[in-house]
Amino acid sequence: MKSVPKLIKRFVGILMLSSFLILVINFTALATIAATQAPNGSPWKTAEQAVESIEKSEQGYIMSDKMIEELNFHNVWALYLDNTTGKCVWYSDNLPDTVPLEYTFSDIASVTRGYIDGYPTFTGAGENGLIILGYPKDSYWKHMWPSWDYQFIANLPKTVLVVLTLNILVIFLIYIIANTKLLKSVKPIADGIQTLSTGQPVVLKEKGLLSEISANINQTSEVLQSQNYQLKKKETARANWIAGVSHDIRTPLSMVMGYASQLENNKQLPAEERQKAGVIVKQSQRIKNLINDLNLASKLEYNMQPIHIEQINIISTVRQVVVDFINLDIDGKYPIEWLTDSDLNTFIIKADKDLIKRAVSNLIQNSINHNADGCTIYVTIKECNKRCNIIVSDNGVGATDKQINKLNNSPHYMVCDENTSEQCHGLGLLIVKQIAAAHQGTIEIRHSEYGGFEVKICLPS
Amino acid sequence: MDFNFLKQKRILLVDDEQELLDMVSSIFADEGFCNLRMAKTMKEALCISEIFQPELAILDVMLPDGNGFDLMKQLKNTSDYPVLFLTACGEDDDKFLGFGLGADDYIVKPFLPKELIYRVNAILRRSYKGENPIVKLSGSLIDFDCAEVIKNGKHIALTAKEHDILAVLYRNAGRIVTIDALCEAAWGDNPFGYENYLMAHIRRIREKIEINPSQPVSLVTIKGLGYKLLLEDK
Repeated sequence: MKSVPKLIKRFVGILMLSSFLILVINFTALATIAATQAPNGSPWKTAEQAVESIEKSEQGYIMSDKMIEELNFHNVWALYLDNTTGKCVWYSDNLPDTVPLEYTFSDIASVTRGYIDGYPTFTGAGENGLIILGYPKDSYWKHMWPSWDYQFIANLPKTVLVVLTLNILVIFLIYIIANTKLLKSVKPIADGIQTLSTGQPVVLKEKGLLSEISANINQTSEVLQSQNYQLKKKETARANWIAGVSHDIRTPLSMVMGYASQLENNKQLPAEERQKAGVIVKQSQRIKNLINDLNLASKLEYNMQPIHIEQINIISTVRQVVVDFINLDIDGKYPIEWLTDSDLNTFIIKADKDLIKRAVSNLIQNSINHNADGCTIYVTIKECNKRCNIIVSDNGVGATDKQINKLNNSPHYMVCDENTSEQCHGLGLLIVKQIAAAHQGTIEIRHSEYGGFEVKICLPS
Repeated sequence: MDFNFLKQKRILLVDDEQELLDMVSSIFADEGFCNLRMAKTMKEALCISEIFQPELAILDVMLPDGNGFDLMKQLKNTSDYPVLFLTACGEDDDKFLGFGLGADDYIVKPFLPKELIYRVNAILRRSYKGENPIVKLSGSLIDFDCAEVIKNGKHIALTAKEHDILAVLYRNAGRIVTIDALCEAAWGDNPFGYENYLMAHIRRIREKIEINPSQPVSLVTIKGLGYKLLLEDK
């Protein structure tokens, strides 16, 4: 949803910029038009030119022919008043009859400001008199009272600025109101798409401006859900199948193991036969471990293993596993050394106790399985960068660089999606990897400093 | 320690498979348990238990006419004796259900005969320990009933904590018991940070039971992990 505020920002930006641009363009246009209009259209200027063109001669006053021509062209009448008498001393031929020929001061004042009989009039002051030009009716509009409060003019820039700001605010407000409506219909869609990406079902109201898009999102969600459901069903079926098989094998295998073990301990049988029975027991146990591993691995892989995360003391959990192994190792063939700092008695992390126990015992069992002649196993727990490191290593036969590289990097055959004919290795390490992953942790397989194999489980604390 | 009296205990075995019943009974027979009855259904089991009065029941979870958890409830209604599940249901949830209902142990098939016998012995020893209260160590005797140690003819009393710690060690005699398990026995759940108190108690116990407390032979330390109680005849 971070993109929506960004979108709004951009929209508002464009809006502000465009309103500003429009204002600038308008002002420029106005200024240009006004500038071209002023010299041509100003009758005041014409009046001034006209008064200059009047000359005093022996027969009275005469206007130059050129000026008369120009005035006639614009259909303008003119009359010239004497300064001292206020009487008309010259007038043009086209002077209408309604225009008076004698003027008092007050007449002149009103003529200057306004009209004579509907003709807009303009004055120009000469040396001895005043010229009055009368333009055709409705050709000019005159501002009769051209005066303003001084404060108003002095504050004009400020006033203009305030008005502009208010204008912008009003536009902005209109925009916001209009857009919130649009955004309101966009927001559920954006939310819906976001939810879609997490794989959860989405149901949007198919209403408003963008109802079509909402409908499409709803359809997509349905398709995804049904696909997920199918996939989940398949995975559940697979995990259930594995669980069923391992359940059904247990009882017959019990009998194989039970009787073989009895035969192994039967002192009346020859030693050779007892040895054979011993092999059966041992191999049955391997099958038993495989079943357990297979079941757990498939459940972890298909997320069907319930994981009970709680606060546990990892030291006491791992210590129990180690002690269980020592207690079972009657021959003392696989001594385990506890190398954890003796001051570190409590280290609380969030984890599933049983799964952690399983992971550690898988690692210890791994060392035992791969070192038939016995070896010493070293177990260490360390706190490193707020993470919990559980290290199980041995001084046994170890593994080659190539094997270690493969264990670290290539997927196990059980979770590999390509056909594989490679020789299979057990599920023990895969389970450790899966358990670490279920705790957002990692594992690292490497050579041990004691000469054998070493696995480090790194868990967040 | 002589546990022969435990072999006289009456054991009820319930499983729907005849072959498995035969095998388990032969395992028990090999170990000298002679008081064994078998049943293949819930109904049969309830019937037999009324007359037989078992002192330990070994049950399967899946039975033709019900499940073992219900059977255990009904068996325990009449008289309280230990129950051990022996089943192919290996899911954690099944186990938790079993333990939650009061089962004493839970073995998932397949199992080694040795394991079964070991666990049965442990349960019997735990449940009927009152019949064998005096434990013999190399330099002394522990009388759990009276909570005292007898060394060189002198009676030395044990404190409650010392008694609890020794009891756990004795139940697991010959095996390592972790520091955490001992702390839990003495101070209850989540006993964090009691390691030093435990060491102090162990020292005092040694002073009571060992001939030479600075060189212990009965109560030995396993560095970093825990302690082990060694009995005289082991």
